[in-house]
Amino acid sequence: MSLLDAVAIPRRTMVLFFLIDTSGSMSGDKIGAVNEAIREVIPEIKDISSENADAQIKIAVLDFSSGARWLYEQPIDSDQFVWNNLEAGGLTDMGIGLKMLNEKLSRSQFMADLIGSYAPAIFMMSDGAPTDDYKKELEVLRKNNWFKVAIKVAVAIGNDANIEILKEFTGNEECVLTVRSPEALRKMIRFASVTASQVGSKSSGVGIDSSADSNQKAADFTKQIKDFEKDNIEVNDVQEGW
Amino acid sequence: MKEFKPSEKIELKVGGSVTIKNKLGEGGQGIVYLVDLNGSEYALKWYTQPFKQEFYDNLDNNISNGAPTSAFLWPQFLTVKKESRFGYIMPLRPPEFKDFSHFLLAKVRFASLSAMINAALQISNAFRDLHRSGHSYQDLNDGNFFINPQTGAVLICDNDNVAPYGTNLGIAGKCRYMAPEVVLGKILPNADTDRFSLAVMLFMLLFNNHPLEGKIIAGVPCMTEENERRFYGSNPIFIFDPQNDANRPMMGIHTNAIRRWPLFPKFIHAEFIHAFSSEGIHEPNKRNPENEWQKLFVRLRDEMVKCSCGGETFINPGAAETTCINCKRKIDKPLMLKIGRNKLIMYPGQKSYACHTKSGSDDYTTVTGEVIQNKNNPNLWGFRNLSSDIWLCFMPDGTPKNVNPNGVVPIFKDVKIVFAGGIKGEMV
Repeated sequence: MSLLDAVAIPRRTMVLFFLIDTSGSMSGDKIGAVNEAIREVIPEIKDISSENADAQIKIAVLDFSSGARWLYEQPIDSDQFVWNNLEAGGLTDMGIGLKMLNEKLSRSQFMADLIGSYAPAIFMMSDGAPTDDYKKELEVLRKNNWFKVAIKVAVAIGNDANIEILKEFTGNEECVLTVRSPEALRKMIRFASVTASQVGSKSSGVGIDSSADSNQKAADFTKQIKDFEKDNIEVNDVQEGW
Repeated sequence: MKEFKPSEKIELKVGGSVTIKNKLGEGGQGIVYLVDLNGSEYALKWYTQPFKQEFYDNLDNNISNGAPTSAFLWPQFLTVKKESRFGYIMPLRPPEFKDFSHFLLAKVRFASLSAMINAALQISNAFRDLHRSGHSYQDLNDGNFFINPQTGAVLICDNDNVAPYGTNLGIAGKCRYMAPEVVLGKILPNADTDRFSLAVMLFMLLFNNHPLEGKIIAGVPCMTEENERRFYGSNPIFIFDPQNDANRPMMGIHTNAIRRWPLFPKFIHAEFIHAFSSEGIHEPNKRNPENEWQKLFVRLRDEMVKCSCGGETFINPGAAETTCINCKRKIDKPLMLKIGRNKLIMYPGQKSYACHTKSGSDDYTTVTGEVIQNKNNPNLWGFRNLSSDIWLCFMPDGTPKNVNPNGVVPIFKDVKIVFAGGIKGEMV
């Protein structure tokens, strides 16, 4: 064996969570656009992960309608990840989804990587309001330490989405973005997923202006999302029925 | 603002324009495009966020000053501003140069130990000359380097935060590479903090693991910013700290460091131990200047030979015999050409450089001599004068002899050479 032989440097894991509303009102072009947008962004996330010596990116997907379910039982390496189309139908059991997320945000569950993790990025998208008691579950979730440090972003799909609940989820008004057309949805999913992956999977730039409780990655992310929204006026296009 | 489309023209501050060909990549700060400038291809880095005027002015200044060494992919032209955004033009990276992260991820490996050491030399030299010019880099991390795995040639990109002494444009860097005092927010990046980042970089280049990431870090479930401040800022511990074994590398995780560390000579260990000791970590002005790293890697190269197994190995000049790090064969102590503090192992293929044989030179790239084997009798070795100077050589019995350029000094114990400028060497 030569001195020059090496194995890859150990990398932390950054899990990118997609939490997707698949209730009946999402059916048709909304869920169709979500499926296509995520399918398209996966190879970009894979590239970010494969070039990155700080962390690898894994993907976990939960969809909620009548009940909620994980697409895979463990977060999947972005290299291996295959998107399966989600179907829409049923209620909006967001509370159940939040409860299931809380269960998995634990070192004995999804955050089990031997080398450790970076704070996760959690991306919620919904077009309506919960039909179950989400409040209690959200309160529990907000006490979860993984959730506290996570980068959080929510996309409100169409005019009927309950923005207030999404704000409670992200804890930050600026990270709730409203889209009203398939094109805007696609762009927003791409930008938010790629940016969250880039920011979340790197060792942070702590230092300048940092205080003990600062979350510079989340702040960085928020700033980029704001700039994107400002610069992409067409994301405000409205499609009928959205 | 929107992305540029192919064939769009972007005006340069000096006049003229570049034409967008396609997008090459995207990062947190901006987008890199392939552009055409008067028939030649360049890269355009376009900032998607607005920056302060002083950032623009500083870049402008760097462009007029020019690159400190050819290792820097230096900004060449600024664009004019467009909706308060702008970009700069730089040379393209040739395809044979690979991202340093690809080395770390074991997707690319050096073709030889010489190439690896050459990369270490080039990086040390580039930052030495940047600092000598009165500037600092401020954001040194794994994303800034491209290396040719065949030769070890290095290109350094992202030179947009380079600023003169005392100036800082607001970048903090990337935590795993930052000096502890920057991580803790006590100071903004400067040449001293660059030197810490450089030591991290050099360690990773040689050992393919992070110097501060051992058992302790692997046991941290979530590397939050608070944890980063602790483990890279207030309480970093070197994985090979002789006084503190709390953060040793772990089998199965930090495999490269565990395997490679014992293969390197003690003097290399000593320098990294210093760099990541309490002094190196907490006392910025006690960090090794780049010139010392440069000398260190010249010495490492001097003491490296090609074993008959074909692999390169290090010779311990103080030991009666050395074991090849590849084939484990014993190599008897070879003769060495002692020049000042350097001991150049007299083994076929070994080269001397101007920094050895020219008075006052620190040029480690110009070859001035090479150990050769006699064609008819391969056991007979000589040291060929590849410089343009005449060397004066004294045989063991004291007989003087002029060795003209391309002439050969026989390699025997006690042969002495006086190089041009009076530098003396002796075969020991």
